[in-house]
Amino acid sequence: MEVLNSNFYGGKPTQLHFSPYEDNGGTVVAIAGKDFAIIGSDTRLSTGYSIESRNQTKLFQLSSKTVLGCTGCWCDALSLAHLMQARMQMYLHDHNKEMSSLAVGQMLSTVLYNRRFFPYYVSNILAGLDADGKGILHSYDPVGHCEKTYYVAGGSAGAFLQPLLDNQIGMKNQQNVERRPVSMERALNLVKDSFIAAAERDFYTGDGVHINIITKDGIREDRMVLRKD
Amino acid sequence: MSILSYNGGALVAMTGKDCVAIASDKRFGVQLQTLTTNCQKIFEMGPHLYLGMTGLATDVKTVQSKLKFRQNLYELREGRIMSPEVFTNMMANMLYERRFGPYFIEPIVAGLEPKTFKPFISVMDVLGATSVCKDFAVQGTCINQLFGMCESLWQPDLEPDALFEIISQAIVNAFDRDAGSGWGAVVHVIEKDKVTIKHLKTRMD
Amino acid sequence: MDLKTEMKIPADFPFGSSSTASPSDYRQVAHTPITTGTSVIGIKFDKGVMLASDMLGSYGSLAKFRMIERLVEVNKQIVIGAGGDYADFQFLRDIIKQKVTDETCLDDGFMLKPRSLHSWVTRFLYNRRNRFDPLWTNFVVAGMQDGEPFLGVVDKLGKAYENECVGTGLGNHIAIPYLRYALDKKPNLTEQEAREAIVKSLQSLFYRDARAFDKYQLATITADGVKIENGLTLETDWSMADLSSGAD
Repeated sequence: MEVLNSNFYGGKPTQLHFSPYEDNGGTVVAIAGKDFAIIGSDTRLSTGYSIESRNQTKLFQLSSKTVLGCTGCWCDALSLAHLMQARMQMYLHDHNKEMSSLAVGQMLSTVLYNRRFFPYYVSNILAGLDADGKGILHSYDPVGHCEKTYYVAGGSAGAFLQPLLDNQIGMKNQQNVERRPVSMERALNLVKDSFIAAAERDFYTGDGVHINIITKDGIREDRMVLRKD
Repeated sequence: MSILSYNGGALVAMTGKDCVAIASDKRFGVQLQTLTTNCQKIFEMGPHLYLGMTGLATDVKTVQSKLKFRQNLYELREGRIMSPEVFTNMMANMLYERRFGPYFIEPIVAGLEPKTFKPFISVMDVLGATSVCKDFAVQGTCINQLFGMCESLWQPDLEPDALFEIISQAIVNAFDRDAGSGWGAVVHVIEKDKVTIKHLKTRMD
Repeated sequence: MDLKTEMKIPADFPFGSSSTASPSDYRQVAHTPITTGTSVIGIKFDKGVMLASDMLGSYGSLAKFRMIERLVEVNKQIVIGAGGDYADFQFLRDIIKQKVTDETCLDDGFMLKPRSLHSWVTRFLYNRRNRFDPLWTNFVVAGMQDGEPFLGVVDKLGKAYENECVGTGLGNHIAIPYLRYALDKKPNLTEQEAREAIVKSLQSLFYRDARAFDKYQLATITADGVKIENGLTLETDWSMADLSSGAD
């Protein structure tokens, strides 16, 4: 017991000698429509100026109609996504049905806030369908603040792409335009175009894009290559 | 907070077909407090030569008058107007004179070459490291947002009207996602025989 | 009681200040690596995976241990390799070996698979990072997963990913470009081609990484099992050193 109370094992302030966080880059873009939700991530995993992998998706499927996109500190992203997947399993076994996208959205907020004082350093975007089959997105800050939206960009190129989505999907600063829901083709093209634009100017974004298209019939995958420099 | 973002501001220039456009926001603030919404950041330095500067407002004014002084000397001595390219070099040179105590400004030069009327835009950093651009140049506190907008909206050989629309959408949507800039915008479209200045009404928050 | 005094660590011990000089209102958990290994590199080929590392245990800039094993056979389908603190590697290796022993005793016909081990190591290292007491190591897990080659990395934070080729430490900068180039040219390498790429990368590392060494281990994992060649020596050619001016 004496040993436990010594300098080495006492409950005293810890001197930080290393950083538990790292920025591994990556971008996620998502658009929700009348009967679909599209979420895409780039496939580059980097640390500083090194590209660790050119083929690492940041999308994690949580249910047949919910996909989570995580960027930021990759070790936290992995842990968070796997924790979410485990919680989805537990719910499935407890209730014999999948958790709804809205419930997942609430749960993610709670899970993030549980680590309020040692946060998951991750920017999360959750794409899914609501009870009526309408596309719905949730976007989060690292400690669980949650916002329901219909288009959002997050991660290293989030600032580059959000104004573009405001303009092209939210029809911001446009006069005399008809506001009709975005079609799947247009949403998909816009997601691809935005990644091409991001890859030009953000070197944490590139190599490839992995896209999940969520409809009531299931989740369809799409891929596209990006510049590798 | 960087001294470059102390007053806030957004600036963008684009080339078109036989024309260039340069646009800026109109906010003047001190950190998060907006003081005025009619701050001029683009200066007419010649009939086809415009200079835009964001950064520390006091340095913007100083640099503008120092440049005008040097430009006047040049034009008196040479008996001809200064081209955008020469203006860029002169400015880069002047900024580098203050290598170890720089002016905290982020400039863009936009104009048409005298005689040939070829579009010209250039951009430099606080020390005068210059890049002459074929497409567009952006500066200011919402530089990332501007890059995203320009990279996806800009295309070669835009006619003046289309160029105006695109540069306007680029800057307005970019600074709407930035707390440090916005509060109205001004767009200059420079053509061979005319310069069109338009003031844009935007959301004021 | 002071552990350092108890353990008779001299006051001038170079790692961590002496107990009398240091304030006592904190505890230091995140240590610095002492005996270290440098890069581990690996690449997949058509029928398996290849992993290689040199055999040097560095003590700061001293080339102290010249024949240490940094690649270890876990079972008939997994090899792990490590760079960074060697004690941390031995610590985790012993736990893994015990896991394998326990599993063998069950004799239920099941065997640990590489993806499972990769995931387990990731969780272990992530847990240590969360306690601000990391294992200062990069791990590479290579093996055969249900007949398919597997190659994954985990760093000291618990950052994990799989790839066609991997390199830890300076291998990330020196070996990876060459390995990626080899895979771009021909996506399905033969075992021989993979070996050539690996040896060439090790040579480059030996030339330019001051903590690298010319004695190396090379592990080949295929459906037939694990083969680890120990104590191989790199063929080197220093004649071009004359061309590198300013070094003499």
